[in-house]
Amino acid sequence: MKEEELRQIFLAEAQDSFEELNRLFTQLEKNHGDREATEAIFRIIHTLKGNAAAMGFDDVASIGHLLEDIFSEIRKGKILLTAMVFDDLFKAIDKLGEMIEGVKENKKVPYKGLRAKLKVILRNLKGEIEFKATQGGESSEEKDKELEKEVKEELTESQKEILASEQPVPLGVNLAEEFADEEEKKSKITFSDFVQVPVSKLDDLLNLVGELAIEKDRIIAQGASFGATNEYTRLYRITSDLQYSVMGVRLVQVGALFHKFHRIIRDVATIEGKKVNLELEGTEIEIDRNVLQIISDSMIHLVRNAVSHGIESPEERRKKGKPEAGKILLRASSDKEYVIIEIIDDGNGVDATKIRKKVLEKGLASPDTLSALSDDDVVKFIFEPGFSSVENVTAVSGRGVGMDVVKKAVDAVGGKINTYTELGKGTTFSLSLPSSMAVKSALLFVVNDTEYAIPLSFTEAVISVKRSAIHKVGGGLVTTHLDDTITVMFLRDLFDCTNYDELQDAQLLHRSFDQIEDDETKINIVVVSVDNRMIGFVVDRLLQQKEIIEKPLGKPVENARFISGATILGNGNVCLVLDANDISEFLFKPAFVAV
Amino acid sequence: MNVEEPSSASSNEQKVSAAIEMTRSDADQEKKSNIIVFRLGEEEYGLRIDQIKEVVITPRITQIPLTPSYVKGVANIRGNILAIIDLEDKFALRNTMSETSGYTLVVESHEYNMAILVKDVPNTLSVADTDIDYTPAVVTEMHGDQDYINGIIKLDDRLIILIDIFKIITKDDLKTVIGAKI
Repeated sequence: MKEEELRQIFLAEAQDSFEELNRLFTQLEKNHGDREATEAIFRIIHTLKGNAAAMGFDDVASIGHLLEDIFSEIRKGKILLTAMVFDDLFKAIDKLGEMIEGVKENKKVPYKGLRAKLKVILRNLKGEIEFKATQGGESSEEKDKELEKEVKEELTESQKEILASEQPVPLGVNLAEEFADEEEKKSKITFSDFVQVPVSKLDDLLNLVGELAIEKDRIIAQGASFGATNEYTRLYRITSDLQYSVMGVRLVQVGALFHKFHRIIRDVATIEGKKVNLELEGTEIEIDRNVLQIISDSMIHLVRNAVSHGIESPEERRKKGKPEAGKILLRASSDKEYVIIEIIDDGNGVDATKIRKKVLEKGLASPDTLSALSDDDVVKFIFEPGFSSVENVTAVSGRGVGMDVVKKAVDAVGGKINTYTELGKGTTFSLSLPSSMAVKSALLFVVNDTEYAIPLSFTEAVISVKRSAIHKVGGGLVTTHLDDTITVMFLRDLFDCTNYDELQDAQLLHRSFDQIEDDETKINIVVVSVDNRMIGFVVDRLLQQKEIIEKPLGKPVENARFISGATILGNGNVCLVLDANDISEFLFKPAFVAV
Repeated sequence: MNVEEPSSASSNEQKVSAAIEMTRSDADQEKKSNIIVFRLGEEEYGLRIDQIKEVVITPRITQIPLTPSYVKGVANIRGNILAIIDLEDKFALRNTMSETSGYTLVVESHEYNMAILVKDVPNTLSVADTDIDYTPAVVTEMHGDQDYINGIIKLDDRLIILIDIFKIITKDDLKTVIGAKI
């Protein structure tokens, strides 16, 4: 499967190269001295040859090699192009095109005759022409013309000789056969089976398909009451097929990103004087191109960190009885709608004691709170803005991109990040990313007569508790869900605020709660899990679960607090999508933690 | 041509240039600007027509928590989610706007998604450039906060305040949407 895909990519590229070569040769034929064209031809042939050799298409590689030799000489200025060789060069390119076509159809194209011919050209150009060229003192143009004449006579003679001396080429019949149908083939135009599409066009397409999917839901919901189920089933099937095909178009293999890390790791390791081997797993897992793009910087950061902070120096590793070269494993796996990307190193791990010290220094939490936290929880502080665990800013780390930026990027695509670390053994960062960003499932609810949505990836449960089950603890509220104590917050309290000072009111979270008098009143809570913390959002009314396409809020409201975006509902209303991360950040910001 | 130019430093130059304009046969048409005129509070305001995409009946607006009061919220206008701005509120004029009635001017650029509320269907007005006073004293003396005022148009006894909508919203005050994420 993977082989087939590579072959397809090779073919698409080769066909492009073939067309480009045709163009450049025509250009070069008009002006023999066109350096740019010569350079371009050399480069294209070189790439083509390399690709073909890597794919095991030896025939293409061999012709490519000869052409490369010829152009390498021309490029160095060792030989001059003459008009007469162009026929042969064009034939060579045609042959190359045929061979590429042959790869496509899995058909062998005879090419030995051409190879001989090219060898002759190379030899002649190198020998005779070079010699002649250095002789005369006339202007180059005249020289050229003269040379052409001479060479034409000579070459036809010598060509025969040399052709005869070429051992592997069966002369006569075979050669004739090979070039027999040359004339017909010349004018054939081939098209690549690949189409290049700008990502923005795909984005538009996906957007439209997303809207279609939502409209479909609405129509089907309406139609269900009429009982015309057959038509709707068909509509349903077609639209979801369409949706998945379009989403499929945007999928790329994570290998596209992973392979870039060979170089990055090498560079960082060199700077730091470390030995690191990179291993890749699951490179064939597919993920939305845009997701990959958004998190690519974060990946670079994590991998650099792994080398810079994780992996120890060779001496240190030797002392610990580890192999001198550290290991970094990038692993991708898929889990339902998510792709899990792990960055695993076998370095020293994160030292929780050091983190505790740092947290205290920076005043990110009070000593009491800190001592109550487990080591695992303490490690999470590395994601706090303004936290940096390195004492010394090195060439590699400390460029201002902190782990908080990594977390933001992961949040932005609706993903999660987890850390597992064991002192002395290594660290694993695990990113759980949606495989597609197009349509996400969300839970709709009403607060203050306004509809809001929260992505299902955050929601854990929907519960209903009596008022008496909610208790005031400090400035906040808590309740119990499945033996866990969870923080409860009336979203209304947050949304009713009109200015920043109100948000800072210590009694803010008690307001709505205090207004409810009856202990038996049922309170609807959406339990949300953010960064492994559970928060219960109190909502006025719950609506259905629905597929939405989230669009970011544009300027001038793009910074709106607690809102990550908006979607358009079936009835045409705009529904805001809650930013659970931002609300969690607000709730658990240091001021609240310290309470 | 309006001869009653407002008294400003450039009025003489404008008159000269106006004279030159009149000598050209077709220049007169080129130098006219189309202005969309609407009422805010008790004054008339104008926007250049090229800043406006369309006029629609105000759709249902979804409020956004924790935004300044002049950001009425967002609405779905032809499949786009646009922020709805109440300029009466923004300019601290006596607010006569109601959210459910009236029209919305859609001003959409590649960067900003927004629409502004107006009370009734706005008029178009073709104004000669010479009738627009770009440098009235009131504008130049105003501080940065009010440099969205592009000029003043005087027509007969009407006074229209020509504003640049994108200058209004590039002002910092919208960046400091209350409690904005840093």
